[in-house]
Amino acid sequence: MGLDRRSFISLVAGGVVGSLATPVVWKTLDDVSIWSQNWPWIPRLKYGEETLLPSLCKLGTDAYGVQVKLVAGHPVAAYGNPEHPLSRGGICPLGAASVQLLYSPSRVRSPKKRVGNSFEDISWEEAEALLAEQLKSAGKDVALVSGDDTGTAAEVLAGLVAALGSQQAYFMPSEGAAAAAALKLLGGDGLVGYDLEGADYVLLLGADALGAWGTTLRNAKAFADGRERAVRVVYVGPAMTATAAVADAWIPCTPGTEGVVAMGLANMILERRSPSKVAGLAEFRKQAAGFTPDAVATRSGVAAETLLGLAKELLAAGKPLVVPGTTAAQGLAVSDAAAALAVNVLLDRINMPGGVMVLPWGPKVVAAAPDKKAMMGRDVVGYLAAVAAGNAPAPKVLLVHAANPAYALPDLKTAQTALDKAGFVVSFSSFMDETAAQADLILPDSLTYERYDDAYTPYGSGQANYTMAAPILKQPLFATKAAADVALGVASKLGADLGFASFEDVLKAKAEALGLDFEAAATGSVWLGTEFAVQQLDLAKVQAPASAATAADLTLVPVANLKIGSPKVATPPFGTNAISPRELQGKDMVVAMNAATASKLGVRAGDAVTLSGAGGECRARVRIFEGVVDGAVMAPLGLGHTAWDAFSRGKGANVFQILGTQADVAGFTRFATAPVGVRKA
Amino acid sequence: MQHMEFKVKWGMVIDLDKCTGCGACSIACRAENNIPPMQDASNKLRTTDWMNIYELSNGKKFPDLEIAYLPRPCMQCGKPSCSTVCPVVATTKDEEGGIVSQVYPRCIGCRYCMAACPYHARYFNWFDPIWPEGMEKTLTPYVSARPRGVVEKCTFCHHRFNAAKEQARMSGADPLDLPEDAYIPACAEVCPTGAIVFGNLKNPEHRVAKLAASKYAFRLLARLGTDPQVYYYSKRDWVRQLGDNYLQKELKGGEHV
Repeated sequence: MGLDRRSFISLVAGGVVGSLATPVVWKTLDDVSIWSQNWPWIPRLKYGEETLLPSLCKLGTDAYGVQVKLVAGHPVAAYGNPEHPLSRGGICPLGAASVQLLYSPSRVRSPKKRVGNSFEDISWEEAEALLAEQLKSAGKDVALVSGDDTGTAAEVLAGLVAALGSQQAYFMPSEGAAAAAALKLLGGDGLVGYDLEGADYVLLLGADALGAWGTTLRNAKAFADGRERAVRVVYVGPAMTATAAVADAWIPCTPGTEGVVAMGLANMILERRSPSKVAGLAEFRKQAAGFTPDAVATRSGVAAETLLGLAKELLAAGKPLVVPGTTAAQGLAVSDAAAALAVNVLLDRINMPGGVMVLPWGPKVVAAAPDKKAMMGRDVVGYLAAVAAGNAPAPKVLLVHAANPAYALPDLKTAQTALDKAGFVVSFSSFMDETAAQADLILPDSLTYERYDDAYTPYGSGQANYTMAAPILKQPLFATKAAADVALGVASKLGADLGFASFEDVLKAKAEALGLDFEAAATGSVWLGTEFAVQQLDLAKVQAPASAATAADLTLVPVANLKIGSPKVATPPFGTNAISPRELQGKDMVVAMNAATASKLGVRAGDAVTLSGAGGECRARVRIFEGVVDGAVMAPLGLGHTAWDAFSRGKGANVFQILGTQADVAGFTRFATAPVGVRKA
Repeated sequence: MQHMEFKVKWGMVIDLDKCTGCGACSIACRAENNIPPMQDASNKLRTTDWMNIYELSNGKKFPDLEIAYLPRPCMQCGKPSCSTVCPVVATTKDEEGGIVSQVYPRCIGCRYCMAACPYHARYFNWFDPIWPEGMEKTLTPYVSARPRGVVEKCTFCHHRFNAAKEQARMSGADPLDLPEDAYIPACAEVCPTGAIVFGNLKNPEHRVAKLAASKYAFRLLARLGTDPQVYYYSKRDWVRQLGDNYLQKELKGGEHV
């Protein structure tokens, strides 16, 4: 029996019709598309109860409250904390990536000791014994560099160093230190704060308040609220920063002349209004008289009529506020800060609503520790330069805490020479950063979410504040330990008892000193200070600011950018995508200059160039951007890591390598801008 | 294709006079929606950023230059070009709320939708989603990881919409009449300057509806007729003009050139 043509066609047609009518084909197709996307290497989601816990983000230069979302006890995301005065629900790019940073490939997962050119994992017992042994043999020749100028952990470590008989405890450079030094210069005493929420006119002299300067998130909230109240925000600075982009006006000035502009404004204000009850006014008047509109225009590039306009706006405003700062969020000249402070004094804006607030230094609980005031008054850049030059003895043991001095200091070669000269470098870094990579011993600190942490009044805060964070995870993810606990243990081993058994006890004492309930503080309650020290400031002490690098034809303007990183952390894994081609192209850092500057230098957009500065050279590509003043080169800070992990290593160049320094008043160093050379690579 | 109208139309107004381009929205979005990290993200043709930030400029020379940052989520178009071209119905706009959906397991990676989307809001997964060891533990339980070969985009954090509706149902409230801020995407929640405002465009009480009605509000490429549910806001004329592909020698009156 054969299959004839008619039966065959009927069979095929019937099959087609039948298969269209049955759901089997569609179901199979659907299954195929689902299962072809279902591979073992694609992670599955974990479900469970969701909770929100308050904590702190201290990855940038400021510190603010966050909320961490946990699913089945495991952290999955960080959000801003609407209840926290320095966050108010906002988060910075580093905070947004902070949970994932717990699992960063560059985390140091156990203590390590240097053996030749590599590291060997060791136990905590061995590590702590090694630290004790080194400290014992070093005697008084111990030094500390900490990058945590808001936390009590630094107080404990400084206490250890002091108990061993050393005065060499330093913070990494910060604008808060420069501002406090300026206040001291004028006879004041305290931390400098700015009541941005209360001001009705804000003149930012260089401070990239919405970029990476001061209490960035709080600044952003104050700015947004100010918009509703028609608060005018004017930005004076050499480049179109994040702040300049949204400010009501951007007034370009030659890099490093914001202090000169401040003195010019002071001069104009004094011509129009003679304040009463200002000490040292006669002497200051003489100083300011040199800053005539024409002289200021020549030096700063701000036209005389523009300056006059600013002075008039300041005088007409009910609650004006002048805020000094830099695009690098560090390296501010004390003299520039003092000049801006003087303008605030002339406008009677000290400790006034919407003015400059003088905030008390926080309480100290580790008796042996130096006062924070004393520590902030010391300049780490100068110290390391002295060590490098042999003018100061190199420490036998150098403790590095929450800081990366082998990457994030100006005149980097000098700083590295000093680190090389130190006998034994101990890094408490949670990550394999540049300093840890060249340390002799790494004692990995737990991250904030894994331990107790706290922050007292980050720079810029309008009122004193204190935030504590209890560990969010029951125990650290890896074999890490809180640096303060390690310090307490080693201190007692060396017979230099600091008076506390654990860091938790230190924080209990801190809470008590502030009159705060520990349990409440540990669960997110924020302490707010309402005292402002009454002070008589003496303007006679203001030293006329010099322009930075006046002789240079070309000036480097480094801009801090939290989405790239901070002096403490490199670009987190979740941060790489946010970096734009305006900052990084392939492996090349992008530097910006305007067309006039580029044509003077003979370079074009996209050209590879070599930047040369005090400490060396680095490579970059040119971007033509009209948001930079003539004769300036804007460069992003935070690139060019040599340690860390594949998410940040080998991308762009480290601007600190070419950033030179300049001596400043009060023993400080200014480095927010520096001379630079540019030539085609 | 048939155009559906909804009782609730979720929308966004982004104030470009407040955006500082900080990038927090984009990173918070990444964490919330389980977009894997990328070691090398410098080639922007291969990256995935549901919330991408562009820089606009008025094109003037120093010192007259002005810039603005423009965060670009999915526009959740009222008349989406992407869903009409999808051959496998993996992306549709048929749910109350007016969010353009994306069903990952259905996607065959043909990328017609990417070609059709005038906003470049859609992203193709060129790589398998790989998290560094251990980091997969930080995946949120909201969005499954998408494999290589699948297109994805911003969903206005749709899982938050579901959660808000569920919350409303449990408390006996109307899930289609959510109060302001009961449902907001991660980007709007974390924005430091509050530049991103979110809500129901059809509820005149919501801030977003008021802002969208302002004379300073505009939409991207509005005259293409895609009817985006994301509005932008700027008091600067040049910013608004850039929003609609403004041509300097444009003919008036809608003639074709």
